[in-house]
Amino acid sequence: MPIDFSLTEEQRQLQALARRFAKEVILPVAQEYDEKEEVPWPVIEKLHEVGLLNAIIPEEYGGMGLKMLDEVIVGEELAYACMGIYTIPMASDLGITPVLLAGNEEQKRRFLKPLTEKPALAAFALSEPGNGSDAAALKTRAVRQGDYYILNGTKMWISNGGEAEWVVVFATLNPELRHKGVVALVVEKGTPGFSAVKIHGKMGQRASGTYELVFEEVKVPVQNRLGEEGEGFKIAMNTLNKTRIPVAAGSVGVARRALDEAKKYAKEREAFGQPIAGFQAIQFKLADMMIGIETARMYTYYAAWLADQGLPHAHASAIAKAYASEIAFEAANQAIQIHGGYGYVREFPVEKLLRDVKLNQIYEGTNEIQRLIIARHLLAE
Amino acid sequence: MKFVAVIRQVPDGESRLRIQGDRVDLSGATLILDQMDEYGVEEALRLKEKHGGEAIVVGFGPERAEEAIRTALAMGMDRGIHVVYEGYADPVTVAEALAPILREESPTLILTGGQQADWDSQALGGALAEALGMPVVAWTTALELEGETARAKHDLDEGAEWVRVRLPAVFTTQQGLNEPRYPTLPGIMKAKKKEIKKVAFQGASRVEILQESIQEKTRLQKILDGKDPVAAAEELVRLLHEEAKVI
Amino acid sequence: MILVVLDHDGNKLRKASLEALTRARKLSEAFGEGVAGVLLAEGQAPVEEARAYVETLYVAELGPYTAEKWAAGILEAAKAGVKAIVAPSSRQSRTYMGRVAYALKAGLLEDTLESWAEGGEVYATRYAYLNRVTQKVKTAPPVVLTVKPNTTPLAEPLGQAGQVVALPIPPVPTVEVLERVQEEKKGVSLTEANVVVTGGRGMGGPEAFKEAEELAALLGGAVGATRAVVDAGWRPYSEQVGQTGKTVQPSLYIALGVSGAVQHLAGMNKSKYIVAVNKDPEAPIFKHADYGIVGDVHQVLPALIQAVKKLKD
Repeated sequence: MPIDFSLTEEQRQLQALARRFAKEVILPVAQEYDEKEEVPWPVIEKLHEVGLLNAIIPEEYGGMGLKMLDEVIVGEELAYACMGIYTIPMASDLGITPVLLAGNEEQKRRFLKPLTEKPALAAFALSEPGNGSDAAALKTRAVRQGDYYILNGTKMWISNGGEAEWVVVFATLNPELRHKGVVALVVEKGTPGFSAVKIHGKMGQRASGTYELVFEEVKVPVQNRLGEEGEGFKIAMNTLNKTRIPVAAGSVGVARRALDEAKKYAKEREAFGQPIAGFQAIQFKLADMMIGIETARMYTYYAAWLADQGLPHAHASAIAKAYASEIAFEAANQAIQIHGGYGYVREFPVEKLLRDVKLNQIYEGTNEIQRLIIARHLLAE
Repeated sequence: MKFVAVIRQVPDGESRLRIQGDRVDLSGATLILDQMDEYGVEEALRLKEKHGGEAIVVGFGPERAEEAIRTALAMGMDRGIHVVYEGYADPVTVAEALAPILREESPTLILTGGQQADWDSQALGGALAEALGMPVVAWTTALELEGETARAKHDLDEGAEWVRVRLPAVFTTQQGLNEPRYPTLPGIMKAKKKEIKKVAFQGASRVEILQESIQEKTRLQKILDGKDPVAAAEELVRLLHEEAKVI
Repeated sequence: MILVVLDHDGNKLRKASLEALTRARKLSEAFGEGVAGVLLAEGQAPVEEARAYVETLYVAELGPYTAEKWAAGILEAAKAGVKAIVAPSSRQSRTYMGRVAYALKAGLLEDTLESWAEGGEVYATRYAYLNRVTQKVKTAPPVVLTVKPNTTPLAEPLGQAGQVVALPIPPVPTVEVLERVQEEKKGVSLTEANVVVTGGRGMGGPEAFKEAEELAALLGGAVGATRAVVDAGWRPYSEQVGQTGKTVQPSLYIALGVSGAVQHLAGMNKSKYIVAVNKDPEAPIFKHADYGIVGDVHQVLPALIQAVKKLKD
């Protein structure tokens, strides 16, 4: 296939829709929800209305069947307005992906279809209070009892965990088996013994709800198991290999916003008798941001393209996620620097960019874990 | 019933414009469906949803304008006609280009923007109406069908009025007519399967643009601190009287 | 013949009509053609005043305004053959002149800042791209030209009254006016006013506009509003200045509690002097202001009224 960097007509329309949505619906409320630390349901409802929520669900289950490249195009635009708000649909896709990868026909129909009929979310629960990066060391226990699994344990840092219609929970059948003992179970909202506690006081991404999920003797029907017993870990990793790509796209959006804000300020703000954009010290910062954005976007598109082609993409999604989140953090940091004191207060949007995008270096596998994946890939030959 | 929205693609009002060789260079600008025309698309859709029939988008402009037509299709218009023409054309010429197509479609009514966001023309509605021998209601803020006629509210230079107009007629839009919907993702997906008929236009604009320039007025930027409102107001009035000599 | 459309309020010609006359006379010199006026009225019309400016004045009483009737009246007057038709620019005229231009297959020059004839063709300058770009354009006769208010010196009377010719009333029964939502006339019209006092969302509500009206009245100006304000129903849509509202170019534009969105700037950025009052020093409007006060509109506006009163005394 020849290299082609152009977007299709539909992708351009999709980009225009997402850009307009971000500007008209997200941007005006981003600061408010950041301050209130509240989930913006009106935004989620509107996302559903225009078809941008859970759009990766295939058409046969009522979704739009968005490809990864489509998704990153949308992600960059939404995150430009607010990374925290973008995390909500992004984390829902994270919950949907294991069902797409490992769910059977009946499960897909049962779990996916409702998510396309109303504004509703899914969630993905892997991390625990005592382990995040070392995912195979999970302590949440699942014990088979007839037609059910009895689930006990606690999950931590779960985006959408309290809002989701259902959560894909990774639990171990036998801790000694490590990753070979993991099972993926879909736990529906309202199942007795399942509770969600919202985590307050987050530094950034405060519009997205992050939860601690507690499972006490929760009965989960066997029909809710994705794949076979012991396949859970593989399902989780294959999921993250995909969903890290939208994290990269969101990072590019934040970086682009940082550059726009910095550029605007540098042209307006005067020092020593001229706009500060006239100084090389500022110009270099802006140029560095641009270098980061352009390269990160291109690489993110590449990773998305690999995923869409069904080609191996674990290393590419790791590179995209780590790189994009780092250039974005640096862009936000430099945007604050360019704003000086004004960058440090909430009247200006740049401090929020830094607070928000810090999380992109942490969630869906810390950037250290990403480097581990990359290193494993390059040493495997 | 058949409702037609006549649209064009224009630069977003917030896009930075540049001048290249005495002409506006749009290569760096974001191009969108003219927001005034968008009211027309929305109204055509609402009329169709209420009364049934077909909603057709007719676009005038270069190849790239197809994107704006697709946007209208993604909003829900049934099909598109694109009159392809490169460069500037005055409203009389545009009306000449569109008239044969509109005559053939024989719509119940035609909607178009009250003002173009690029050429700043307000005359297309009037010119189209004349070309088709229809009445025109300009700056429409409300529109209802009543059998063979329509009841519409529209702005005048001073005030506004309700009129009853025999159909078919041309309506130009005004803000307040409606709140345009988003071209949804399902809409975008469906739009790619909708037909856009291409029509070439061989005519030439009667009005020629010789030069375009951007003349930003340098402002004095004398900003006073209003902590003491009385003192600031007096100083401002003094400046307007003695320096600017406008009061 | 150069035909000039004389717009009026029933009692007096609009200032913009005298500007259009100046433009028409300029074309008449270049083409060696006489100037005739056309005075269309719903009822009463200032015939005596109008005939003082032209050799021939076509007059018709047409009843409630419709673009069809006005276009038909003008075309009737133009039957003798015209090189150009000149009209003051307004929303209404820009609609019916669209009809007229099409009927004559004329070159239409809309909302022109200046116009002149050269080598048998007519040139003009006008704004485009929401007032951000100045275009120089040309076309060949017949030409239909509208004149942006506040751009041209006012014409003087000729010294002798012209001949009045009654036009046959053209039958165009397609639009029936049901109800006029008249807004009370508040002195000068927005587009012709030399001073415009505009309130934005920062006015806080419709009450504060009483003071804006007072300031406008003191300065002999008109009140304007932003989109947010008319959307909120604080002021009528006809007062909206901006992309979807009216475009104004007064000598003095006072923006009170207006943030300065691009769409608003499109309607006023060519004003000679711009004054901004806003409590937010970062409001974009200050970047476009000649003079400004950073402060609360509710305190600054009464102080401004007092200061203007003091000056007038």
